[in-house]
Amino acid sequence: MAEEQLEVVEIDVFEFAERGEEVPHAKVYKVRIDGETVRVDTPTPTGELLLSKVHKRPCAFELIEEFIHHENAVVEPSESVNLRKHGLKGFITAHKEIVNISINGKPYHIERGKRTVAEILLKIDQTPEGYILMEEQDGPPLPLPPNLPVEIRGCEVFHSQPQSGGSS
Amino acid sequence: MVYPTEQIEELKRYCTKLSVIPEGDVTFLHTEGLRLPAGCEPAVCDALLCPVPKDGYPSRLFLSTKVVSPYTRNWNCDNRRIGERNWFAFSWKVDIKDPTLTQLLVAHLNGFAKEK
Repeated sequence: MAEEQLEVVEIDVFEFAERGEEVPHAKVYKVRIDGETVRVDTPTPTGELLLSKVHKRPCAFELIEEFIHHENAVVEPSESVNLRKHGLKGFITAHKEIVNISINGKPYHIERGKRTVAEILLKIDQTPEGYILMEEQDGPPLPLPPNLPVEIRGCEVFHSQPQSGGSS
Repeated sequence: MVYPTEQIEELKRYCTKLSVIPEGDVTFLHTEGLRLPAGCEPAVCDALLCPVPKDGYPSRLFLSTKVVSPYTRNWNCDNRRIGERNWFAFSWKVDIKDPTLTQLLVAHLNGFAKEK
C-alpha cells in the first residue's frame, strides 16, 4: 500500500506529545501557539510562518518551541521546525526586547519602549535639526514631533527627509 | 500646470480625494480628508497645496480650518476665498530644491510638528 494512503488527514501535535507517541505523517498538523490551535499544511514550517498563523511578525516577536518535559528553544524566523519532533507540544510567543524597525527601507535594531526621534534618526546618522522623521502608521508617512517620545513595539516603518521649513 | 503622474499617485495616499482647482495662473491641489500629524486637532481636514510661489512664499498650504497643533502658529491668512470656499494658512516657508509634491506637502505638515 502506498504511504500516501496511510497518511492521516489531520493530527493534533499536542495530543501525540502528551501520549508520548511518534507524530505520524499527515496532510494537516494542528499546532498550539499561545494556546490557540492553528493548522499547518507542512511538517516543517518556518518560524516566520508559524508566527504569521497568530498574526505576529518576527520584527516584534520571538517564537519559542515548548516540549513535554519543559524544555524550551527559540526558533529563528528562517529556521524550519520539525512538527513531528518527539515531545513537541506547541509554541509560545514573546515580545522581543530588541526589535526590528525600518528606516528609509532598511532594517535596524532598536530597544522596545519609548524612544526619542533623535535616537531613531541616529540609527541613520541623522539628527532632528537636519531631518524630519516620519512614520507610516495605517497610512502615509507623517512627520513626528521631535519633542514627543515614539512608542516602539517592533515593525515600525519610518522615513526621513531633510528639514526644509520654518516659521517666517 | 501639469504634475507628474507618479507624484500625483504618491500624494493621493495622504488624502481621501485629490483634485485640482485652477484659479488665476495657479493650479491648486485640493486634498480632501488630508491626514495631519499626531497632536493636531482636527486630525483630518481639507487642504489646498499651492506648489508655486504665492503671497511671497515659495509654496503654500491652505487649510479648511485653523488647526490646533502642539506649537502655536502664526495664521497670517484668514478666510482666503479660493474655489468658492474659505481657506486659512500659517506663516511657514519651505525651501527645497525641486521637491516632489509629497516632499513639499510633508515639509508644510511638519509646520505642525516643529517648534520653529
